[in-house]
Amino acid sequence: MAEKKGKKKKGGIIGFFRDFTYGMATHGMARHALKTRSSMEHLFILITMGDMLGIPILPPYYSLRLLPHVVPQITTWKRRMLREKDFVESMY
Amino acid sequence: MSLVQIFDKYPDRRYLMFGGKGGLGKTTFSAATAYYLAQKGKRVLVFSVDPQASLSDIFERDIFGRGNIEIMPNLFACEVDADKRIKDYQEEIRQKIITMYGMKKIPEEIESYIQASSAEPAMEESAIFDAVVDIVVKGDFDYYIYDLVPLGHALYYLSMASIYDAWLEKITGLREQMREYDKAIATMKREEETEEDQIYNELLYIKERIGQSSKIMTDKKKTAFFFVLTPEEMTIIDTEKAAGLFAKYDVPLAGYVVNRVINRELLNQNIPVYLQNRIAMQAKALEMIDEKFGNTVLSRVPEFDSEIKGLQTIKKLAEEMFEEKL
Repeated sequence: MAEKKGKKKKGGIIGFFRDFTYGMATHGMARHALKTRSSMEHLFILITMGDMLGIPILPPYYSLRLLPHVVPQITTWKRRMLREKDFVESMY
Repeated sequence: MSLVQIFDKYPDRRYLMFGGKGGLGKTTFSAATAYYLAQKGKRVLVFSVDPQASLSDIFERDIFGRGNIEIMPNLFACEVDADKRIKDYQEEIRQKIITMYGMKKIPEEIESYIQASSAEPAMEESAIFDAVVDIVVKGDFDYYIYDLVPLGHALYYLSMASIYDAWLEKITGLREQMREYDKAIATMKREEETEEDQIYNELLYIKERIGQSSKIMTDKKKTAFFFVLTPEEMTIIDTEKAAGLFAKYDVPLAGYVVNRVINRELLNQNIPVYLQNRIAMQAKALEMIDEKFGNTVLSRVPEFDSEIKGLQTIKKLAEEMFEEKL
């Protein structure tokens, strides 16, 4: 705890203002960007792994190559795709 | 022009393919050409990816799924086991997932996806052509003779390849866009450089593989595609249609080889009407072939009185095909 405080002090007043301006100006933008980014991720999985939901698009031989990389996202992606009434609308 | 002239004139054409309707002699001509080139001191690999491949039969050796087998000096044959290849590939993906995430077992929905993938219609073609890329990329032979799967498959794959290519173009673009977002977010949050996008790299790899596999069939410098046909009207018409389709996909057509021509000198002997009629029918068809394909007909191979099997008969056929004593 003490160490943490020490570190915080090192940032001093400038650090505080820097974080403050980040919070004011950039945080909203970053959040928005993250949201868009995750929509894109889901769109991407949809067009590569679409046949999991019955939409075959990519040749399966090659979509298998991508499978390992998206394993952690599959569950949230499926949940989202099934939840959205119109997932295309939610993309942007 | 003759086959020999074609080989002399275009030494760069190292990927040879015989195509045509089933049962007309694609495998026979593949084997005979391999034999001829091997006799000329070239290292030749003749390979097949057809699950009903008959290279094993024609060479009278069981070579299915065993890699490159030496049939005689300079002549190697290979029959790819597409099923096994798909299974091995799926297992590789499983192992990758397990090691990437330190899992004990593949999650159920992922497992069922992997299993379902092998039932997809395009799976086999893709696996087959991917195997071809593996074989050809090694490049340790002077000639590769591809005992082609039936025409339909080849055309299907070529048309798939062009669609996939356009599709991959788009998807790589999307991935690049995502990458831009990652970078922007990292800057905004003042984070370290983002890590390399492995999916992007995989996409580039896939693109390259698909490009290579269709290039093997469409490379004008290195590929020669021969059509096999017999002197029968129906076959001629079908072949003409197929040739048109292949031209559409830029497959470089080297010429036509006619198989099973009955020796016309038999007419001087006392032969049954049945045979006389067949010879007359063939004469008409041969005229039609000359009319349609002209000097792109490279060889006329006679009908043999025995099945082409084993190196002895392959040699005989090669001598007829290349009009040269071997």
